[in-house]
Amino acid sequence: MELKQYLAKYFPFPDFRPGQHETIDAVIEKNHTISMLPTGTGKSLCYQLPGYILEGAVLVVSPLLSLMQDQVEQIMAMGEKRVIALNSFLSPQQKAFALLNLENYKYIFLSPEMLGMESVQDRLKRLSVALFVVDEAHCISQWGYDFRPDYLKLGEFRKKLGKPLTLALTATATEEVRKDIAEKLYLEEWKEVVYSVDRPAISLALERVASFREKLERTHELVNFFKGPGIIYFSSKKVAEQAASQLREKGTKKAMAYHGGLNSESRVLIQQQFINGQLDVVCATSAFGMGINKDNVRYVIHFHMPMQLESYLQEIGRAARDGLDSIAILLYSPGDEQLAYQLAEAELPDQYQVERLFGVLMEQQIPYDGLSQRAEELSMVCGFTEIQWRIIMEYLSNLESQNYLADSETLMQLVENRIAVKKQQIRTMLDWIQTPGCKREFILESFNEELANKPANCCSSCGINREHYKETKSSIEQEETVMDWKHDLASILLISERIE
Amino acid sequence: MLIFTDFSENVFLNPIVKLYRQHFNKKSFENVYQISFCKNETLKIKHSACHFHVKIMVYYFPAIAGREFFSVSVKDLLALQYKGDRMGLTYLESVVLSILKRINGERTIYALLHLLQGKRSSQTIQDAHLYKLTPYFSTYPTVSRSRLEKMMESLKRGGLVEEIAEGKVLLTSRGEEKLRLHLAKCPLPEFLNGWKYHQVTESFWERLTLLVQVSSNLIHQERSYIPIRNKQETLSWVKQFIKQQSGDRYTLAERLYEELISALENSAIKPELVIIRLTGFKKIGLTLSQASEQIGMEPTHYHYEFLNCLHFMFNKILDVPSAYPLLDGLLNKAERLEPLTLSAKKTYKLLQLGYSADEVAAVRNLKQGTIEDHIVEIALIKTEFDIDYYVPASKQERILLAAQQISAKKLKQMKERVTDASYFEIRLVLAKYGDIEWN
Repeated sequence: MELKQYLAKYFPFPDFRPGQHETIDAVIEKNHTISMLPTGTGKSLCYQLPGYILEGAVLVVSPLLSLMQDQVEQIMAMGEKRVIALNSFLSPQQKAFALLNLENYKYIFLSPEMLGMESVQDRLKRLSVALFVVDEAHCISQWGYDFRPDYLKLGEFRKKLGKPLTLALTATATEEVRKDIAEKLYLEEWKEVVYSVDRPAISLALERVASFREKLERTHELVNFFKGPGIIYFSSKKVAEQAASQLREKGTKKAMAYHGGLNSESRVLIQQQFINGQLDVVCATSAFGMGINKDNVRYVIHFHMPMQLESYLQEIGRAARDGLDSIAILLYSPGDEQLAYQLAEAELPDQYQVERLFGVLMEQQIPYDGLSQRAEELSMVCGFTEIQWRIIMEYLSNLESQNYLADSETLMQLVENRIAVKKQQIRTMLDWIQTPGCKREFILESFNEELANKPANCCSSCGINREHYKETKSSIEQEETVMDWKHDLASILLISERIE
Repeated sequence: MLIFTDFSENVFLNPIVKLYRQHFNKKSFENVYQISFCKNETLKIKHSACHFHVKIMVYYFPAIAGREFFSVSVKDLLALQYKGDRMGLTYLESVVLSILKRINGERTIYALLHLLQGKRSSQTIQDAHLYKLTPYFSTYPTVSRSRLEKMMESLKRGGLVEEIAEGKVLLTSRGEEKLRLHLAKCPLPEFLNGWKYHQVTESFWERLTLLVQVSSNLIHQERSYIPIRNKQETLSWVKQFIKQQSGDRYTLAERLYEELISALENSAIKPELVIIRLTGFKKIGLTLSQASEQIGMEPTHYHYEFLNCLHFMFNKILDVPSAYPLLDGLLNKAERLEPLTLSAKKTYKLLQLGYSADEVAAVRNLKQGTIEDHIVEIALIKTEFDIDYYVPASKQERILLAAQQISAKKLKQMKERVTDASYFEIRLVLAKYGDIEWN
């Protein structure tokens, strides 16, 4: 059967999107593959379809629980029931049951922490694995913009599984990062399917404003001007809340904030309201967007500068999934990079904290494998955030021997290197902001690509006709509807003929 | 209606700064992110750290009262004179003051914190019964220690409470009066019953919202949608539940509709608070903060009124379960309704096997006092638990008599009256009969 026939048989898509066909080809010809496809091209098809061709299970490692849940739901929504997510949402009984019946599943999603468990590893070893998929593979590389220490174990795990056929998927990874991915996963030979990071349908704009206050005003103007729906990205939960509540109070747009500080019920509701068209704009932190399938996002505004070019691309990539013209605007006011530098440093422990930690370890002679039991106490004593603690834990628990003095130095060395990398990435982002040249060309150059065709509304340096993105429909003032709860309930639970 | 926002530029606004300092006990505007006037003449200060949403009556600002403000400059505001004393109470303050009034300075504010959070300790459970505060048990699990401490500071500063000992406070006459005025306008929820329902409320709501969403999509023939609940447990439970129902999808939705109408229809509650949160086919429900904004209640007030509606509905369902087969199913088959703490449960099992309290203490390697705490907790929860074995019937009567004569439920005073009773015996008798005999 041709690949297109498989597509027609199992999926509701008329055709492959760029890069999907090549990736699937490489995989079913049994090549280890690193595939870099721009966001919005449907990376999950690249392992779903081979699942119907190859014998055995498809293991998918995914970094975020919410993302994993979304993928499982989307596969199920397409009618494939042989899918399960092994993660901390499962109760011990459910987990035990799932492990016992693992043969019955075609698609098995795993969190990295689950893979770390010996019981899970042993069970998976007895399974026939057709394809080992690492989603968001750039997380494995410390050069990548979203490094996750627990991803480092994936290579060891792959070895234990007997080095099965592997597919590493990512949206944005420089050549350096791709090489690092292969190395960390112990791929000896591999194929690369690399598609341009360029999204010609998205026009790239930079705007300078003088102050924070002006930025808020400008955001409001832009939201009123552009055709929606849109997303505004913030580095701070607080400011995201503030902006959303301002946009609401000014009354023209339906706006909500979305960030990790909300409870899970609110997060799901806001996400679904946005997808369902009940919201015009979401003021979000980077927690928003992964795994959201909404193809008509028309603009993305960055209120704060992203920490790397890669996350900028990832975030603007949420626009224009339907291929229609959209616009991305980054608002910059002098000194914004200071916040980025601060955030970068805050993610990592500082010298004082590390010294304090080793002081305690030495004093009480705590072995590294005893660290996890004392996480709370040690975090409090040294003032670690969750992320800082995770980085330290990962580093120390993977050491073969224990030498407090030397280890504290190498740990500090690691921290300094990471900070240096992050600072360099912020400087690159700043260079992009400050370049008088073509913004699109700059991005492509940093991924060792060349700009072949310049789209009409390329970027703010080349010139953008903003009218093109203007909201043409006049916003209809919503009448205050009188609330009648019985009528509301009827509209949910009764079919229209029965509502009088 | 928004006036100004950014306080990073050291805007010094005399009247508001004064109000703010007084109310939040803070020196800077650090956490305020918005001050605004509404049509209905209230001034709102939003406080990001704890999402306070305080309404200050604009009549404290005579110069602007009665005018509609959509654009007032900073300068205009500076010219205003603040003329008034401490503003009204927030909803949570009214709840806290009501509880403090009951506790009457005999427990610290942390007892109150544990009560609202629903701490499953013998002490908290006993206090809830002793002071008749069971309705509030576990009704605000997310309230934080620091938020409560800040509120206490503010109440003290406003002269509404006075500290009589470390952490123990009494309402001043001013506080009593403020509370009385506030409750007259905005009474506490009458059907709230945290103790009885705290273990089922959340799971009921999770299941109900999912069941409504699934039913609504079923009758609209929609198969592809994202469930608004992502807990595997809830998903499998609702799936199972739907399978067990007889009749087709249309019947299921219709029955659910009818049961909800019947269970919620009452002028004493506001069913719309619940209904606007529900998700159906192509209509996603509102979050708590959206709902409270739409209804026009501060979030804490909305939260309590929402719980009030649910608990009203639970009462109605449990009164005639046969009339609400679906809702009763969602409620009854929720997690075990037995609220004993784990450790007390172990003790209970051993007692049932015939071990004495001393033997249980030895077997479990626990202190005698701990086992006594467990026995008191068991007496509170297990109505069938017989305490005659621990306290002779005649002594029980004398203790109850003393309890009736002493209005303040101070153990020490009771012990002075019934000299031959131990504290354990007094607590046990109060636990067993407290709720009935004191009414």
